[in-house]
Amino acid sequence: MSRESDRGSDLRVDWPRCEGRGLCHELLPEVVDLDPWGYPIVTGPVTRALRPAAREAVRDCPKLALRLVERRD
Amino acid sequence: MRVQRGPWLLRSIDPDLGTHRGLRGPLPRPALDDLLDLVDASGLRGRGGAAFPFATKLRTAANARGRRRHVVVNLSEGEPASVKDLALTLHQPHLVLDGAALVALALGTREVHLVAPAEHPEATQALTTALGERRKADRSRRLRWRLHQASPRFVAGEASAVTELIEGRVNLPVTSWQPTAIAGLKGEPTLLSNAETYAQLAALALGGSAVPGTAAEPGTRLLSIGEASGTTRVVEVPHGTPWPHVLTAEELAGPVLLGGYHGTWAPAGLLDGLTVSHADLTGAGVGLGAGVVLPLPPGTCPLRATAGVTRYLARQSAGRCGPCLNGLPELAMAFDGFLAGGSLDRVERLIGLVAGRGACAHPDGTARLVRSALAAFPDEVAAHAADGCGAVDLGTRPIAVVAR
Amino acid sequence: MLDSLTQNLSQGPMLWYLNRGSGVALLLVLTATLCLGILSARAGRARLVPRFVDQQLHRNLGVLSLVLVVGHVVTAVADSYVDIRWWQAVSPVGATYKPLWLGLGSIAFDVMLLVVLTSLARRRLGQRAWHALHVLGYLSWPFAMAHSVGIGTDAMSSWGRQVGLGCLVAVAGAATVRVGVDLLASRRRPADLSGAPL
Repeated sequence: MSRESDRGSDLRVDWPRCEGRGLCHELLPEVVDLDPWGYPIVTGPVTRALRPAAREAVRDCPKLALRLVERRD
Repeated sequence: MRVQRGPWLLRSIDPDLGTHRGLRGPLPRPALDDLLDLVDASGLRGRGGAAFPFATKLRTAANARGRRRHVVVNLSEGEPASVKDLALTLHQPHLVLDGAALVALALGTREVHLVAPAEHPEATQALTTALGERRKADRSRRLRWRLHQASPRFVAGEASAVTELIEGRVNLPVTSWQPTAIAGLKGEPTLLSNAETYAQLAALALGGSAVPGTAAEPGTRLLSIGEASGTTRVVEVPHGTPWPHVLTAEELAGPVLLGGYHGTWAPAGLLDGLTVSHADLTGAGVGLGAGVVLPLPPGTCPLRATAGVTRYLARQSAGRCGPCLNGLPELAMAFDGFLAGGSLDRVERLIGLVAGRGACAHPDGTARLVRSALAAFPDEVAAHAADGCGAVDLGTRPIAVVAR
Repeated sequence: MLDSLTQNLSQGPMLWYLNRGSGVALLLVLTATLCLGILSARAGRARLVPRFVDQQLHRNLGVLSLVLVVGHVVTAVADSYVDIRWWQAVSPVGATYKPLWLGLGSIAFDVMLLVVLTSLARRRLGQRAWHALHVLGYLSWPFAMAHSVGIGTDAMSSWGRQVGLGCLVAVAGAATVRVGVDLLASRRRPADLSGAPL
């Protein structure tokens, strides 16, 4: 199991799949806001502390419309 | 459209293969490294709108991991005001095909995909004829050419929409997690570029005459200039040409929309002291995009024209992404509301909400257009915030939408 | 000592009681799972309970259903009073004891297994394939209900009928709410600009 980097990761939305169900916002309000039509607005990176919640959001998205992408630079 | 002869790509407007070879010579077969050197030296940028450095794209596709590499030529020109690629297809198809062949041979690709506009059957006809001529001239069949038809929709020319079309699915954008050059068709490295980009490359490789342009920016650009009468003239302009040599005094007298419907506004007078140059224009905060130049008819309000284009762009949403499907129509309505005497707040809020939130750049481009209109015409903005601009009402006549 | 314990167990009524009890519990939990599944995907943002609660509860109750059905099958097979073999739990044909009603139960079990296995592999399957199979999960409920009516010892008792009726009402209610909410939501479309001049 690779060691998690502490550079954080980014939550990315697969827009055509997203239907604005909003579970991501419920599970990860620190990183995900909702626009007036119910679609996610990613407000920042996923810090190490938020990673478990982010993983849960990715897993629970009913349309599998989320990805957690590691930052590499 | 009216096509004018030019100094380089459009030295000839005869599509015949024999004429083409007579003028430009046989197709060279440079190795990949030599081709890269040639492109690096020229600083060739893509002509599809993003102005991406072609050398970088070629290098990426060459080095990326994959069993095969693919080459795609986009001749579909989704932008309604753009006709330059159609002009190339009808008058210099072999220049485009030579460019694609050069890249394919250097990358070791056996198959080249050509994506033609379905709404112009004459383009497909011209390509079929040209391919027939090439087959007769070279019976080795080293390259296979596949012809596809793109839908006339605005977003059908976007990279992922094109790969979707080629793979047999609906010609609309999808999310791409990696650039096409790294993972495009079937997840393999794919060089997808605009028809004119390939033509420019071929002209460079075929040589035979001095490259026009400047030392800093060698080469030319094909421009689609929307005329007041409703037709479009296609001109080839060397980099560094002053705009007063490209546009008439009347066309320069008013604002000009550069880059098409996802472009930026140049207020009256901005272009007078500038040249047709990537550096010049980006320095002034505008861009050429895919070479569309739309001078505003005199007496017209640029904000009303922008509102019309925004409504069109909202209707052209693929409807696949929530922020675009919902946000663009609301942006169009908010802008109309502002022009009728409402507030700008909602417009600005919506610009922020749609940009960057979609599978393709359609919402971004639309936001860019509106933002640029608000920045370029502060007087008109102030007038509309008060009680209207008093310009001639366009009624239903759009800003120079093409009569081809 | 273990031998005598097992012998007592398989010959006494204990397994039969456990089988009946697990059957009733299963029917209730399966009904709850189904209702949550129906309701959690409904449109609309006004919710009493966050969506993720609906969804995770649906998932957890689904797992509980699987545990209960395994217990239900084990007790049925182990009970020596009726001749039910292991393989008859998954095969809808070939049973000797009440073959039709048992078979319906086997189908329900098969579907439940399919749903759980595909849900574990959801990311690998992809959304479309997973969803197509998951929707089959609806079948588990009517087959389970029919199985309980035909083979259930307590099906015809007054409380048994009330349980069955309650489950029916719950599912009908959930379906009505879902269809109603979705219909209302689909009325609201994004702005239609087809008439506006360019």
